[in-house]
Amino acid sequence: MPSDRVPRILADLSAEDHGEWSSARLCEVARDVVGVSGAGVMLMSGEIPRGSLCTTNEVSNLIEELQYTLGEGPCMDAYDQNRVVVESDLADPGVPRWPAFTPQAVAAGVRAVFAFPLQVGAVRLGALDLYRDGPGALTDEQHGDAMVLADVIAQWVLDVQAQAPEGAVADQLEHDADFHYVVHNAAGVVSVQLGVSVTEALIRLRAYAFSHDRRLREVAEDVVARRLRF
Amino acid sequence: MTREADVVQSLVDLADTLVADYDVVDLLTGLADRCVTILGAAAAGVMLASPSGDLRLVASSSETMRVLELFELQAEEGPCLDAFRTGERVEHEHLRAGSGRWPRFATVAIEAGFHSAFALPMRLRDTTIGALNLVSDQDTPMDEADALVARAFADLATISVIQQRAAAESQRVNEQLSHALNSRIVIEQAKGIVFERAGIDMAEAFSRLRNYARAHNLRLTDVAQATIDGTLEPHVSTDTPRTTRS
Repeated sequence: MPSDRVPRILADLSAEDHGEWSSARLCEVARDVVGVSGAGVMLMSGEIPRGSLCTTNEVSNLIEELQYTLGEGPCMDAYDQNRVVVESDLADPGVPRWPAFTPQAVAAGVRAVFAFPLQVGAVRLGALDLYRDGPGALTDEQHGDAMVLADVIAQWVLDVQAQAPEGAVADQLEHDADFHYVVHNAAGVVSVQLGVSVTEALIRLRAYAFSHDRRLREVAEDVVARRLRF
Repeated sequence: MTREADVVQSLVDLADTLVADYDVVDLLTGLADRCVTILGAAAAGVMLASPSGDLRLVASSSETMRVLELFELQAEEGPCLDAFRTGERVEHEHLRAGSGRWPRFATVAIEAGFHSAFALPMRLRDTTIGALNLVSDQDTPMDEADALVARAFADLATISVIQQRAAAESQRVNEQLSHALNSRIVIEQAKGIVFERAGIDMAEAFSRLRNYARAHNLRLTDVAQATIDGTLEPHVSTDTPRTTRS
């Protein structure tokens, strides 16, 4: 029953103080409660994608990576447009979208995607990404559960950050996250190699990844491993 | 407008503050004024607790009331204080100089022309954020119907204030997160720069930045930003001159 929803979800999470939760656990609960193949949380801050707070498997990780690299996808839309984004069959969508994201996601086994904005009041934090390896929509109950989980996760992010030391990202947010620091390391390296600003260097890295059909993170790793020079 | 229309309009106005930006002092001054114009109180005062838990006077419907409320705080006795402390409605009290529940407050109130007082907590479940004081120049208690309306006004105002505070806090934490992530990015970018200029590994690059910061009593983020901007003397990374920037 809908009125049981919140207590049931919170009971699933654990009986401990919610400061003990981890983002990995929250992602797993989202996956299990809603009943999807995988879940990931994308963190946006200052209108910039920062990376993922957690992902439950390789495919979820790929979904986050693709969106970070390509700057398009269901999570990005959910965040930008402040609404739930549903694509119940990526392989045969009603309205085609995400031309760069879709083929790679489908090739990896993603058939349906559902993205729920993470927000606390007017504060927007990112989105919860859920995927299925088969086509089909969520039931009303699953949709409702996902919305509750998105709220719980969003509030959790703010609550743990509120307790972080001044100027630092909360440990619990860093712990399971991938904030793509290697990409920023690479931007520093490339800025010296090309004699350009780091902003320009980031653009060059993205352009290279796009034209060589590679993930931005992999290109960055090559730069930092000195396998690739600009 | 009829009284009913006034009450409805007031509820609409208060409800608006739940969905749009507003100023807390304006809200509570409006609340105090409504208690006078619609509910027939002679005067009203609103107090809110500061973060440390002390009550402060935020709004009054008249200068006379303002002075009385300041006296209440100073004397540490009075209907507002009781309503705040107990979280319960303080029943209408017929004031007698020098006696009753608040002997000194009563004396000053009577001098100001007020004969009775009634107070409501500003409370949402277990949280009491302040209190609303209504004084009358009559001896008779406030009409129960009026008291109910006063409570509705107080409850709405309470929810509004609590919600606005929560929104401000969420915003603050979000900005803090953004700032922390930005600082970290700046450091990671600076690491890359030092790594390339000095031909060392990332761990060593980080050490150099951190050691430089410590040696010069600077924040790591500032050293990192200066490295990116090219305003730092070159010794932190290498002896070669800084590269051109586009």
